[in-house]
Amino acid sequence: MKAFWNFLGLLAIMILSLFLAVITGDYGPWYFAWLVGTTMIVLIAAAGAVMFEKQEEEQQGKKGSIH
Amino acid sequence: MSMMIDPTVVDLSRLQFALTALYHFLFVPLTLGMTFILATMETVYVITGKQIYKEMTQFWGKLFGINFALGVATGLTMEFEFGTNWSMYSHFVGDIFGTPLAIEGLMAFFMESTFVGVMFFGWDRISAKAHLVVTYLVALGSNLSALWILIANGFMQDPRGGTFDPNTMRMQFSNFVDLIFNVDAQAKFVHTSLAGFVTGSMFVMAVSAYYLLTKRHQDLARRSFRIATLFGVISSIGVVTLGDALGFIDVNAQPTKVAAMEAIWNTDRNTVSAPWNLIAFPSESQGRNLFEIGIPYVLTPLLTHTETRVIPGINQLVQDAKPRIVSGIQAMVALEAYNKDHADTQALAVFKANEKDMGFGFLAMQYAPDQDLKNINTTNLPSILDKTAKDTIPNVWVEFWAFRLMVASGFFMLGLFAFAAYYSLKNEMEKHPVLLKMALWSLPLPWIASEFGWITAENGRQPWTVYNWLPTFISASSHTIGYMAFSLVGFTLLYSSFIAAELYLMFKYARLGPTAHHGHDAAAAGGGMAGQPAFAKPSMDRK
Repeated sequence: MKAFWNFLGLLAIMILSLFLAVITGDYGPWYFAWLVGTTMIVLIAAAGAVMFEKQEEEQQGKKGSIH
Repeated sequence: MSMMIDPTVVDLSRLQFALTALYHFLFVPLTLGMTFILATMETVYVITGKQIYKEMTQFWGKLFGINFALGVATGLTMEFEFGTNWSMYSHFVGDIFGTPLAIEGLMAFFMESTFVGVMFFGWDRISAKAHLVVTYLVALGSNLSALWILIANGFMQDPRGGTFDPNTMRMQFSNFVDLIFNVDAQAKFVHTSLAGFVTGSMFVMAVSAYYLLTKRHQDLARRSFRIATLFGVISSIGVVTLGDALGFIDVNAQPTKVAAMEAIWNTDRNTVSAPWNLIAFPSESQGRNLFEIGIPYVLTPLLTHTETRVIPGINQLVQDAKPRIVSGIQAMVALEAYNKDHADTQALAVFKANEKDMGFGFLAMQYAPDQDLKNINTTNLPSILDKTAKDTIPNVWVEFWAFRLMVASGFFMLGLFAFAAYYSLKNEMEKHPVLLKMALWSLPLPWIASEFGWITAENGRQPWTVYNWLPTFISASSHTIGYMAFSLVGFTLLYSSFIAAELYLMFKYARLGPTAHHGHDAAAAGGGMAGQPAFAKPSMDRK
């Protein structure tokens, strides 16, 4: 049942996103650019942080193997 | 038909609004940017489960909270200022201008203000995922708030969605869609929002650089530095792109602003080689630049994205305004006749034929004998045209240099973020103390750029409150000079105390670092924030 509600929730987000994309794409291209751009900025910055953790992990691994 | 208000009162009203707006905008950009940076940090926390990202969100969130509270306090007064100090403006365009402001209050401001409480106090009361949704809603709410304000501002810059009703003597809504999808509002919203992202990034980067230089809270600082630099470099590229878009839009929508911004006095028909003024000392009395350094082949493609389109110079725009002033005078005289007798269909027809220029008729009023346009005759018309036409150009010196200072700050920050992001991605930022020092000392730059950006936008709109429709000098309320001077001094003192409080609290809590945030429960939280022994553990321990 939980999966069903998750599915419905994600479906609603997808429909809303498509609606926003169509409306803003047609009438407000810069608004559309903001929606896409902000999402991209957040995701890239978050990916940078995840990459930092991976780099730290590798550094710790290297230090461990030296000792 | 005299609608004249004491020019000193108008100047004081302008100064008061400019001061309160510039004070307010010291707080706004940090809120716009920090909310999404906090959401990014919290996203990483939810994805990876690493406690340090929760601690980062809480620490930077505390600094954001100080700024948010003061931003709200300074913003509330501004909405009332439209009514108290700009009553003619509010009467003339209140139907249109008031709507986005009301939506901003009811939708965006309530949204961010409601969820910001849950964001601060809901850490232990709701699940991590629910809290993340709340943080995103705060970020969305603060930026939606900016959206509605900039839709209102877009109407002042390039009025769309309204028509003038000669029966009510006010502008009324004709199309809500035109108002919200006004291209000026669109581009300005994205430009302003991304400038806020840059401000938030610079704030986090500079404070993190301070910690790295002083070798305190390094785990938090290195992660924050990484997120801030990536956030900053992409946002900076966006700000530059949208700045270019705004220039392109204004070539059509506000040619007087563009001509003043670039100090173009004479129209250069040789569009390909037209120079872009890197430096200029404009002289309005002489109608030329006393000194200029121009870069040929740049101006036309930069502004028009073509090589053939002619950009009108100030001297040409002054001449182009004269027929519109004549038409505007006819419109206003006919409007007055129609108002005395609504059965006068001929007057209405004359007004309708010249309606698009009625703002220029308003503008000529200050030079008409007894401020009555009916007193203009063939003898005094030429001198009235000369004076009024010159008034259609904003202050060139202010416009030119405000724009350049904004652009210079913006490009410097883009370069700084690019280098900082590069070395952060290589995990080598601590090997470059000069870069860290530059990051620290560049902290004021986004605020400088934002303030000069607003000066460029609003000085460039002059002499109008609503471009080509309503002049500034008749938009103000008819207060006394004493009242305006008293309230101006009051606001200056009050807002200065707000700034002092913000700076004191920000410096205090930034210097103390995350230790002050967690206090006694640091160990209990399992994270042990920076500066504490637990924080010195390898980050992998804190999964």
